[in-house]
Amino acid sequence: MYNKQHLDPHDDTSAQRPDFMPYQNNGGTVVAMGGEDYCIVAATTRLGLGFAIPTRNVCRYAILNDRVVLATAGMYADTVALHKVVTARVKVYQQQQEKPFGLFSAAQLLSNTLYYRRFFPYYTFNVLGGLDQDGQGFVYGFDAIGSGEKVKVVCNGTAQALIQPILDNQVEKKQQYENKQIEKWSLQEALDLVKDVFTSAGERDIYTGDAVDICTVTKQRGVVVETFPLKKD
Amino acid sequence: MGDSILTYNGGCVLAMAGKNCVAIAADRRFGVQQTTIGTDTTRIFKINDRLMLGLTGLRTDVITLYHRFVQRLNLYRLREEREIKPASFSNMVASTLYSRRFAPYFVEPVVAGLTEKGEPYLCAQDLLGAPLFAQDFVVSGTCAESLYGTSETFWKPDLSPAELFEVTSQSLLAAVDRDCLSGWGAVVHIITLDGIETKFLKARMD
Amino acid sequence: MIKLDVFQPTFGLDKEEENVVVPKEELYCSTPLAPSLRWNVLSNNAPKDLTKFHHGTTTLSFVFSEGIVAAVDSRASMGQYIGSGSVKKVIEINKYLLGTMAGGAADCTFWERYLGMRCRLFELKNKERISVAAASKILCNTVYQYKGMGLSMGTMIMGWDKKGPHIYYVDSEGTRLKGQKFSVGSGSTHALGVLDQGYQWNMSVEEACELGRRSIYHATHRDAFSGGYINVYYIGPDGWKFISHEDSGFDKHYQYATEKATQQQQQMSIS
Repeated sequence: MYNKQHLDPHDDTSAQRPDFMPYQNNGGTVVAMGGEDYCIVAATTRLGLGFAIPTRNVCRYAILNDRVVLATAGMYADTVALHKVVTARVKVYQQQQEKPFGLFSAAQLLSNTLYYRRFFPYYTFNVLGGLDQDGQGFVYGFDAIGSGEKVKVVCNGTAQALIQPILDNQVEKKQQYENKQIEKWSLQEALDLVKDVFTSAGERDIYTGDAVDICTVTKQRGVVVETFPLKKD
Repeated sequence: MGDSILTYNGGCVLAMAGKNCVAIAADRRFGVQQTTIGTDTTRIFKINDRLMLGLTGLRTDVITLYHRFVQRLNLYRLREEREIKPASFSNMVASTLYSRRFAPYFVEPVVAGLTEKGEPYLCAQDLLGAPLFAQDFVVSGTCAESLYGTSETFWKPDLSPAELFEVTSQSLLAAVDRDCLSGWGAVVHIITLDGIETKFLKARMD
Repeated sequence: MIKLDVFQPTFGLDKEEENVVVPKEELYCSTPLAPSLRWNVLSNNAPKDLTKFHHGTTTLSFVFSEGIVAAVDSRASMGQYIGSGSVKKVIEINKYLLGTMAGGAADCTFWERYLGMRCRLFELKNKERISVAAASKILCNTVYQYKGMGLSMGTMIMGWDKKGPHIYYVDSEGTRLKGQKFSVGSGSTHALGVLDQGYQWNMSVEEACELGRRSIYHATHRDAFSGGYINVYYIGPDGWKFISHEDSGFDKHYQYATEKATQQQQQMSIS
């Protein structure tokens, strides 16, 4: 009994030592926007660490299937681990059930995956975007422990405070009280907006820059990824 | 929640440059941590017809500092018999703040005005008086980060006074609507060579 | 003993086995039920943005002659930043049960979803609906197991069962209280002021809903960490009903402001 703790390979008491820091912030920003017949999920490619940039080209998104994309900001090691878990679960489901994994299910799966680590969370800030059965685009934003919400447009990550008010103002017309017509954004307009907000955020946020991977989900073409360059300074 | 004395009362200021004009805008909340006490607060003060000063931070220091500036400005006018230039006033603000280097005033000032040639002059400072000059816009207060985001997207060079008003108010409103400690109404001052025009904005009251 | 694989639940039992063992209802669930208690790294060196999500709220509910009204705001703040302005803070557990959400959003949604599952299992097992008292106690006992580990949840479990309308307040410290009138969250003091002032036992449903709405509005106005939309629900004998979803900070504020102005004008002209 006395030595049990030492022999237990799952014993995590070392993680409770005050000098052990299991987290690091690698920054990154993710944006998702849903439209009538498309969905855009975008993620920056810079990996930051303190004031350094260890690499300028990492992949922060995971294509779960041809209609659902997950993008994650925060700690990169946790991002990779989380993507591995979620993509594996989706693959197993699709092979067992022989039907595609839906957007709503993916949101619930992600929420539960995150919450099961409630007491040692993935240090990740996720957005999930895709098309529902009718081909309409929807996005979800999540916090680190799995609280999510279905929204029109969402931003997560280090530049959240910079980008989210712009999206509120432009997409949801939140402050334009006089002629509050919420217009439908075409795919091209939406892409231009996403590129604009990342360019702006790149000017002020040191963790946002280098490039942004933009995944466009449409019913006809599935998921198409383009890389939009940002400033590298 | 209230972890810094600079966010104790809430509030923010944004100043933007246009073509021969400057806009300076602020929210109108006065709060004590999470409770909103007043919604008709003034945090932008007129220095002269072409110069305004915005002060965010601890409200008691904002008021005290404003009175100190009024005193120093009056003495300046008596001695020099002219109005102060924006650059000189910025230095006055900076030296006043630095004089309290080891027991600082908890404010972040923004100086916005027009120079003698009618060119925009913007200067933001930290609580010790380190000046930061900009050609485009300066921000301060509890939602500075959001203000940077909106301003960076909406601002462009050579805006006319009417355009500048629209850009400034949208940038400010969009930012304060994502901040708990700012908002509850807003005010925009447009400074041109003809004088100062003041407009109050209808905003969200939560 | 029959061991049921958690991932491949067996629902039917062979005849001989039927009276041998009744498996625990938890084992029917296709996923592990709850986060492991093994780690708790958060208390030491966690980054600030991990734990500070989704606090600040105003929620209220009260019992009156015709049932229960629940009204909530919709703001979720992370520190002073508004993480979302359109959160659904009333969680629909089932047709007869509602829960409200204050504190950590993930904690509330997860455990109330779990409560929904437990209530459904109770129904299947006992062939009758669970009482509000029992439902709230399941939640209370569940979160009590995690006491001291940093869960953050302040909720009101409301519903109409055999014995009529009930409200229970349950929080992550393990408190469970029955009452007529509750308000939870950072804006609760502001809301209670208005609620207590306007409360009567004999109110119509419309009056009760308007009272809830007004209480939330005043809380969103004064409390920095409350705001957004006001959602109102009513619970009658036939279960809950969604009543309204209105913008608090702009539409409601200026509506109330103009109403107040016209009232004052009328009073002036009378006197």
